[in-house]
Amino acid sequence: MREPMRYDVIVVGAGVAGLVAAVRAAEGGARVLVLAKGVGATHLAPGTVDVLGYADGHRVQRPLDELPDFIGAHPGHPYVMVGAEEIEAALKWLQARVAAGPLPGYRYVGSPGENLLLPTAVGALKPSALAPASVAAGDLRDGGRLALVTIGQLRDFFPALAAAALAQVDGVQARAIELPLRAAARNDLNALGLAERFEDVVFRESVAAALHGRLEDDERVGFPAALGLQDPDGVWSDLQERLGRPVFEIPTLPPSVPGIRLFGILRAALRRAGGRIVVGGEVTGVEAERAHVRAVRAHVAAREQRHSTDWLVLATGGFASGGLEMDSRWQVHEPVLGLPVTGVPDPGAPRFTPRYFDDHPLARAGIATDAYQRPVAPSGERLYENVLVAGAALAGAAPWREKSGDGISVATGYRAGGQILEQVTPAAGGSQTTVSTEA
Amino acid sequence: MQTTHSPAVDGVLGDLVRGSLDHCVKCTICETYCPFSKATPLFPGPKYSGPQAERFRIGDEPQPDASVDYCSSCGICTQVCPQGVKIAEINTRAKARLHRERGIKLRDRIIARPTVLGRLGTPVAPLANYTLTSRPLRIVAERVLGVHRDAAVPRFAGRTFHGWARSHSSPPGTRTVAFFHNCGTDYYEPDVGEKAVAVLEHNGLHVEIPKQGCCGLPLQSNGLFDDARAYVRRLTGALAPYARAGHDIVGPATSCTLMLKREALEILGMEDEEDVRVVSERTYDITEYLLAMHDRGELKTDFRPLPQRLAYHAPCQQQGHNIGKPALDLFALIPELEVVEMDHGCCGIAGTYGLKSEKYEISMKVGDGLFRQIGAARPDVVGCDSETCRWHIEHATGVPSEHPVSVLHRAYGLA
Amino acid sequence: MPQLQADLLVIGGGATGAGIAWDAALRGFDTILVERYDLATGTTGRFHGLLHSGGRYAVKDPDAARECIEENRILRRIAAGSIEDTGGLFVVTPGDDPAYADRLLAGCAETGVPCEEIGVEQALRSEPRLNPQIKRALRVPDASIDVWLLVNGLARGAADRGARILPYHEVVAVHRGDDAITGVRAHNHVTGEDVDIEAGFTINASGAWAAQVCELAGIEGVGVVPGKGIMIAMNHRLVNTVVNRCIPPSDGDILVPIRTVSVIGTTDVHVTDPDDHEISQDEVDQMLDSGEQLVPGFRQARALRVWTGARPLFRDEKADQAGDREISRAHTLLDHLERDGLARFLTITSGKLTTYRLMAKDTVDGMCRQLGLDRPTTTADTPLPDYRDGSAFRLGGRLRHKEDHLLDEQLVCECELVPRAWLEEHVRASGTTNLDDLRRSLRLGMGPCQGGFCMYRAAGIVQGIKDLAAPEADTSLRNFLEERWKGVWPILYGDQLRQARLDDWIFQGLLDVEHLPGDGAAHVASHGRRTAPAGMPDEDA
Repeated sequence: MREPMRYDVIVVGAGVAGLVAAVRAAEGGARVLVLAKGVGATHLAPGTVDVLGYADGHRVQRPLDELPDFIGAHPGHPYVMVGAEEIEAALKWLQARVAAGPLPGYRYVGSPGENLLLPTAVGALKPSALAPASVAAGDLRDGGRLALVTIGQLRDFFPALAAAALAQVDGVQARAIELPLRAAARNDLNALGLAERFEDVVFRESVAAALHGRLEDDERVGFPAALGLQDPDGVWSDLQERLGRPVFEIPTLPPSVPGIRLFGILRAALRRAGGRIVVGGEVTGVEAERAHVRAVRAHVAAREQRHSTDWLVLATGGFASGGLEMDSRWQVHEPVLGLPVTGVPDPGAPRFTPRYFDDHPLARAGIATDAYQRPVAPSGERLYENVLVAGAALAGAAPWREKSGDGISVATGYRAGGQILEQVTPAAGGSQTTVSTEA
Repeated sequence: MQTTHSPAVDGVLGDLVRGSLDHCVKCTICETYCPFSKATPLFPGPKYSGPQAERFRIGDEPQPDASVDYCSSCGICTQVCPQGVKIAEINTRAKARLHRERGIKLRDRIIARPTVLGRLGTPVAPLANYTLTSRPLRIVAERVLGVHRDAAVPRFAGRTFHGWARSHSSPPGTRTVAFFHNCGTDYYEPDVGEKAVAVLEHNGLHVEIPKQGCCGLPLQSNGLFDDARAYVRRLTGALAPYARAGHDIVGPATSCTLMLKREALEILGMEDEEDVRVVSERTYDITEYLLAMHDRGELKTDFRPLPQRLAYHAPCQQQGHNIGKPALDLFALIPELEVVEMDHGCCGIAGTYGLKSEKYEISMKVGDGLFRQIGAARPDVVGCDSETCRWHIEHATGVPSEHPVSVLHRAYGLA
Repeated sequence: MPQLQADLLVIGGGATGAGIAWDAALRGFDTILVERYDLATGTTGRFHGLLHSGGRYAVKDPDAARECIEENRILRRIAAGSIEDTGGLFVVTPGDDPAYADRLLAGCAETGVPCEEIGVEQALRSEPRLNPQIKRALRVPDASIDVWLLVNGLARGAADRGARILPYHEVVAVHRGDDAITGVRAHNHVTGEDVDIEAGFTINASGAWAAQVCELAGIEGVGVVPGKGIMIAMNHRLVNTVVNRCIPPSDGDILVPIRTVSVIGTTDVHVTDPDDHEISQDEVDQMLDSGEQLVPGFRQARALRVWTGARPLFRDEKADQAGDREISRAHTLLDHLERDGLARFLTITSGKLTTYRLMAKDTVDGMCRQLGLDRPTTTADTPLPDYRDGSAFRLGGRLRHKEDHLLDEQLVCECELVPRAWLEEHVRASGTTNLDDLRRSLRLGMGPCQGGFCMYRAAGIVQGIKDLAAPEADTSLRNFLEERWKGVWPILYGDQLRQARLDDWIFQGLLDVEHLPGDGAAHVASHGRRTAPAGMPDEDA
């Protein structure tokens, strides 16, 4: 055990939930440290904020309107804790952070009042509440004519596949165009590599030139979500101007460029607010006195480092992020605090069903909490007073099938940060004198 | 049928490094952050060369992929991997195997031995330095050896740190630490070592400087694993008595302290050797050590104002300690010092990588973003914990670069 | 209805059937082979890939052992490109009777199977993951064999000599004359049409399905018992040598390195339906525990996929009901003229992949006997068409290939290094749009991510080549997801669970495959309940 560093809040996990909680707390004056064993969640998700897309088999048009019925049917769902008002506040807060972020002009549009209908890379229509403006420009609630464009070197986007499916939708016409352009020395190009090329005005010129004369008057042009990383709004606006028509982005296989942008925005916001983030050291445990966590232990090179803290936000995610683990004997664990995991079938009972698209018994497993996001035992007894759980680690949700993933993360992260602020005062001793280059 | 490494030499951790490929879920995060695959199409990326290609490597076939040679072992991939795959370590071992099979260039054998170069060059420093700065001679060196004519090479100091240490007597202190100085300090920047010792002594520590050699990191990076192990054994043999006596081992060279903390165990598979383990547990990077002292209230904070603008770049190897950036917290204690944190992963030098004629351009491209950030910040000085990075940054930007401990030394007013 | 004619009709496109087609074609018979699905999707494609040295049988079944070692040598000559010379070990783990090793040595000496005891340290040096507490180690010339390379080689060789190889042709009726079989009617799953095949001779090489085909011919009581066993592929090569437990043949006593994975197997449950693919959790646990005996830490290693294979066991209804593993594993050739008074029809069943060539030879010999022809086999000395220069299979092949094409080639499946060009070529050549078939034949999606990334790419590429309409493309993608799930959910823990959840993120959260418009028409060549095995074909095409 080595010497302590002292914080008001330690957030474990640097996904959307963790970063939102951290930024909120740091902006309120708390001394915040985010510990993450790697970078992850944001870089894989499409970068939209989905609040509620599907409820019990039907597509949801107005998430906030349907919320009461939904949580009535799913009393264990994280949205029970948060409520419509706070969801709205959280999303507005996120929109403000994006607008204030280091990407000039970049913003998220939409509202949890009504879902956009966004085309996916296979041509399904996905309901999302918020999306970057460049992605939301693909909204198909009112149909439209689409030309989906790619270049051959990009291995992760197939507009013909998407167009074939979209063309089946009433009111939508879609076709695909592959441009004979080279963007890289290597033919194995992903969205991130292409995004860097789109930052180059010469490349954009060549794209516009290649599309010249090939587009119909009323066609919107859809690109894979690769329209820039440092100045995506600039890239998007420029393309719209050159093509003389609306242009939109379609999120495709990871690395997710919109997700990377969002991560950069939240990380800059954290830094501006004086918080810090350490990537690479894995949190191995905590020191607690009765129901109070006193310190967090992290595994760093050659030893463990100890940080004392007043609050711990557990935003380590679900099974996809390693926030929950299941071993070869089908036992489920939460590795940081060893919290009991709810929603796990009894030993010997199956965790999955044989059909992929069914509801699997293990689907909603996670950490159960009280109304204040504090983890509870199966008896309902509160396990820790100063631990808050946010994001995909929470029990009761099936985020990808409901299309609620980032909605839960933003809302519960926001709420966790808010709860901390209500109870903590700014740490004496000032924030850092560092000035970020991104300010 | 052989596996790609020999357990008798590489140990259980060797298997754990290879076995960690099981954790790879192909999420592409490592590729997203790898600065070298972005700079050159010749390197297919850490996911490809690490956990992916490793499934196709087997001991009784020559290594199929030469492209792994373009991995710099900067270690950023391992840091950002959310799954715990030891990507850089897998790559480094694959590179070593490749080099062993195809023969290790004379150039690599030479630049991997800074102590040999140091011993040769120090007595004739003026001549040696002239050679290193003479353009025609550098061109010859590029053709003959393969060291790029423009690569930043340091100047011999003409004296050694260990020579200074021999005649230095450290005052008694509240406790004793052993100082691990590294080759760069010894032959090129003995003043950095002297300042580091002075800072430690200023804070009440008695500093012992045992006779010591190279940590073997450049040998490891260039695939000379057996030689690297020999160097590690010698060094840890010299430091272990201090560790066993309960003294901490502190050093200013962040790459080398990481070598002792972790890389010698994971990459060279030396975790079963007592001396290595005992030293690893007691080794600290100097900013890490000073900050810990500060948290315990043991650090003197009588800093004079330094009205300067300092850009801080944390080298990849410093990030590899996973301890955050202690230098920033230390700088925050110095009045009037304006610090701008650079936000760019790698300067590109990656130890000896950027010296090589076939890799120099790549390393300059990798560092380009950092050099621009530095330019935009217009600092008086660039703070950086690794000497090879400092030399590379100075060469590329023209801005002088200092070790954080030198800044502290100045702020303490220790002339 | 289209009509075809041939000297010989072979029913069944596994190793035996393809081996028969090759052998017969070499002997000058005009041959048609029909296989209900894709080649090698029966038992052949569902085993662990072990090319026996014979050591496993040396004690209990000396005849089988002799056959194995002889065929092992022959196959290394004629099918070199599909065989990786891994070598094999028999190891005595703690708790095993060390005396069995002596019986094994003696049995091998008797039967001519090379078997040499090596020091335990030597064994551990060559295989560092092996249980460090093994007591004895014996080395034998086991190897691993890639059945897709093998079967495709046989089929191509036969086709080069004029044979017609017809996958997706399922026999729906067998034509009987008064006292002879004259041919079959087969249903073409791709076109939806039936085709009539008239054959001078018919060979039933449908392995575990042999009894079903016999029933179509009106022959009852053929005692083929499907012996179902599970196998689990582990994500990487935990060992590079075949490792057998040095005990009498038992469950879960073999760990086979095959291509990029290692496979632990197997169990033995007698079922009635050879298409029964149910996997029980007990069996999975059993295999993991067995693995742990051989390689400590097995349960922490990553399990990739689980599948079942049905061995064809022949139980002569007239013989005594022996114990489970006592049923003979030597092959059985049924001459229906003798048994049932039906001429021009033979059934070959039972046996093992290692002796497929011998089984094929015996069967075609049997046909020649009945026809009164003297045409001996030449398969022992005729190498299969190969992609390489006759050298053995090398694990690093694909990595080397990509290295030569670092800049110009685009990978579809990164885990298994499948270039886009191979996929496109295969789709054009085979005509299939079935992603599952493509998966098996190219190893597309057979690696750690099990298609998480590459399946979208593959769907897009296939759709582009075939200009598929949405329902077909989408159904193919959804089918793939269902098929994949069957082989994954019973072993979904640890790293693989995390992978599956990440893949869910992609398929559900990002792509939303579930809500593609339209509900998808029935897809061509739908494969029902099959799950998918490891082991692949077509290397450096």
